[in-house]
Amino acid sequence: MAATADLSAPDELSEREREAVEALLYRLADDEFVIADRYTDWQVHAPTIESDIAIANIAQDELGHARLWYDLLEDFGYTEPDLIWERDPDTFRHSTLCELPFAEGDWADVIVRSYLYDEAEHLRLGALEGSSYPRLRDRIGKVTSEEDYHREHAANWLRRLAGGDEGRERAQDAVDRLFPYALALFEPVNEVEDEIDDLGLRTRTLEDMRAEWIETVFDTLTSIGIDVERPQVEDGCVADEDLPAHVGRDGNHTDHWSTHFDEITNTYRELERHDATRLMEDPDDE
Amino acid sequence: MIWEVFRQEQSGEYHTHCGNVHAPDRDMALMFAQIQHARRKPTHSLWVAPAEEISEVDESEASFGGTTNKAYRWATSYNIEPVAEEVADSENEQAEAERARGEN
Repeated sequence: MAATADLSAPDELSEREREAVEALLYRLADDEFVIADRYTDWQVHAPTIESDIAIANIAQDELGHARLWYDLLEDFGYTEPDLIWERDPDTFRHSTLCELPFAEGDWADVIVRSYLYDEAEHLRLGALEGSSYPRLRDRIGKVTSEEDYHREHAANWLRRLAGGDEGRERAQDAVDRLFPYALALFEPVNEVEDEIDDLGLRTRTLEDMRAEWIETVFDTLTSIGIDVERPQVEDGCVADEDLPAHVGRDGNHTDHWSTHFDEITNTYRELERHDATRLMEDPDDE
Repeated sequence: MIWEVFRQEQSGEYHTHCGNVHAPDRDMALMFAQIQHARRKPTHSLWVAPAEEISEVDESEASFGGTTNKAYRWATSYNIEPVAEEVADSENEQAEAERARGEN
């Protein structure tokens, strides 16, 4: 893809540019925010104290990344209540992979899910290192260094689970269940995705990243004895039957999301809050 | 399986024992140790070693430093002024060690 000129500062963007930047940031922020909160379901329930602390730490990393991306949306005048606490849950753009509850007591679920997610995240961040939007590009390095641990964590666990019969069966079940939802990570929000590519906000298309992700995941899983089928792709789109009924990116979520969102915002509503307490300074001042 | 964890704050310093982690193998031990023992502390490097590979001898089995007065070992007989900094440090260190053992 040809190099694209840098975009201007947030308050000098054209309407078309701003719409594309916002769509890209919501994709990133909502995925990280929702999967982080999901991971915390494992708090005090993980198989050992070490794995408990590791998954909690990963959840904190993802929340920290969500904070960086929501902060860039605040450049456009949104407040934290607008972006999270008082937002209409139907406007969230995360993939449904991030919102599904874990199969109860199934550690293979969180390991497979984080593996599928973090491999996709790795490609996505790589395609943002050369983004034409400097505010976003400048924050990628920090995020990437933490994501490396997440991939290592997921891959290490996955190999070990697959090393025994019970673990491999559980991992296989989780892959069967979650793989279509993981494909949703690469689904478009709407036609704004073309603008995102044309403006050089990312340097690889969703289709291109998905093709690489499928090959990586396919090779890794089959090498450890877990079966997975490549989806049918026609004209750059995954066939409907290989996708879940709800992909999330287009605002179309499972019922689990409204329940989850209610839980996340419960205290805010109960205390009748209208603003969010700021515990940390602005990321730009760090 | 238990792995003992040793943390080094800065390059060149000693790795100091800081606790342990449960992990099935070396790679997982290194991974868990990063989070459990280094996420909130300045860290330059971590070691992990299987707990069973650590050998120990304690005071019930050994008389560390012997039991008789060996003050003659001290480098205090050479009263040359000014004392080299290294000699002064060494003397102080030995005097401190004697006190800590309850000998002087």
